[in-house]
Amino acid sequence: MRKWPAIDAAAVVILILAVAAVAAAPWLAPFPPDAQNLAARLAAPGGAHLLGTDHLGRDTLSRLLDGGRFSMLVAALATVLTGVIGLSIGILSARRKGWLDEFFTRTNDVLLALPEMVVALFIVAAMGTGFTSLLVALTVTGWTPFARLARTLAYDVSARGFVEAARVVGCPPSFIIFRHVLPHLAAPMLGQATLRFGQLLISVGALSYLGLGVQPPQSDWGSMLAAAQPYAERAPWGILAPGLAIFVIALCVTLIGQRAARRAADPIDAIVMEGQHA
Amino acid sequence: MLTFLAKRTATLVAAVLLSSYAVFLIPYVTPGDPVRKIIRSRVAGDVVDESTVKALSDSLGLQDPLPVQYLRWLGDFFTGDMGLSHISRTPVADQVIPALGITLSLVIVALGTAVVVALPLGIIAALRQGGRTDKMITTITQSFIAMPEYWLAPLLVLVFALKLSLLPSAGWSTPASMVLPAATLALRPISFFTSAVRSGVIDALEAEHIPAARARGLSRTQTILHHVVPNGLVPLSTLFAVWFAGLLGGSVIVEVIFAIPGMGRLLYDAVINSDIPLAQGGVVLVVGLAVAITTLADFLHRILSPKVGGTLA
Repeated sequence: MRKWPAIDAAAVVILILAVAAVAAAPWLAPFPPDAQNLAARLAAPGGAHLLGTDHLGRDTLSRLLDGGRFSMLVAALATVLTGVIGLSIGILSARRKGWLDEFFTRTNDVLLALPEMVVALFIVAAMGTGFTSLLVALTVTGWTPFARLARTLAYDVSARGFVEAARVVGCPPSFIIFRHVLPHLAAPMLGQATLRFGQLLISVGALSYLGLGVQPPQSDWGSMLAAAQPYAERAPWGILAPGLAIFVIALCVTLIGQRAARRAADPIDAIVMEGQHA
Repeated sequence: MLTFLAKRTATLVAAVLLSSYAVFLIPYVTPGDPVRKIIRSRVAGDVVDESTVKALSDSLGLQDPLPVQYLRWLGDFFTGDMGLSHISRTPVADQVIPALGITLSLVIVALGTAVVVALPLGIIAALRQGGRTDKMITTITQSFIAMPEYWLAPLLVLVFALKLSLLPSAGWSTPASMVLPAATLALRPISFFTSAVRSGVIDALEAEHIPAARARGLSRTQTILHHVVPNGLVPLSTLFAVWFAGLLGGSVIVEVIFAIPGMGRLLYDAVINSDIPLAQGGVVLVVGLAVAITTLADFLHRILSPKVGGTLA
């Protein structure tokens, strides 16, 4: 076992705990997330309300756990969706080459130039708010980093001797893709997916913050932040809790993803460097 | 190089045409009667009776095939006629142009700040590569990527506007009202810029002309200032352009939070109010500019670093 730097190990532990906590939200939450208690509006943290209450007297901790389910679920779905689309397009580009590759590369360049938020606003304008348009808004521009990475790596592996050898002995393309190309791509793609999950989590929150993502009565971390902002001076815990949740989760996955990306970029280098840590 | 130029320009034109066609179709894909929506963006008065709608629909050519209507719409757009806002009933062009100016100044201040912060940080980190200072700078600036703007902004407002009363919490009237939004917008670019400068300077340090310059008798400081830092700036220039283009429409959250009457705020309001002509004008302008800027940056990048062009291969 190679030794992990303490900070990366901490990131993994925090992430596991957070996922477990939001997954177990209905059992962990001390109150129903929508239970109003107007007598305890904007209550400070402590006592029955560990993280205080919002302007309707709803328990911040319970809402944090419940809202986290939505935020993390949408971010995870969008990550998987963009990952699969990007992976397929990347491999297809690298194997077919020619005009198809050219087309996808150009599309990629253009999407890279489009401001993500404007595209999202446009999609919400055309499709209306809701779960589907939220996913579409995140997916339309989101597949491009995956496609670029997958294309580069697939080109890379296709130039190796073993792929040529497999082709020469008559292995069908599907066999080559599943046996040789995909395993080569797995680790870097996972690293990329981890990084993207963090950014998508922030984007989900952004759209919900603007009222274009999650729709009431469901809430998520972004919409909680927006709702708490007018009361920031009286009840700062209202903006501290959901923002900190997004920041910490995004930070943890970024640390893990960067570590994975570094190792994938140069496995031998990574082993040598880790040898120094051990 | 010429093929590259031609290809890139073709992509640019195709991108603007395709995205503007999608934008043109908004009245047709959103709920409601497209003819009435388009008439509302073309005629100042309120049109209610069926016969006038019919007459206007004919005179505006709304029965023509969509591609014909699109070309007419695009032609009008480029001559500055972007229609009338559904809400304010004033020409869209009169709203998008000032808004773009405000966003441009906000983005320039934010990215300028980011460069001023990132440049020394990246150079110091590179010169101390692998050391404690490098690790500290890298870890802290990398963590900025995880910071959502919609959290940083309320926190800054809480501390500097509400608690300390040093800066205005919103608005766009004095230079002081620029500080918090620009700082919020600068945070994430600082992270990317620092890392670009760092790796650019590290690459430059390893180049062969560095020992040569030292051998010629240049001091360490002179070598770094004249030979290392300029080379380290190449990756930063491309990144700057990408962020510049991205922030033209990417400042939505910051503009909404700080009530800045810029492009992001305009697009947001247009979507919230279903103000189709306003959204169309804003999106086409922002997308066109963003695509043009990134294409230009690509050309510059080719010129600045010829090896990208594949001449070494």
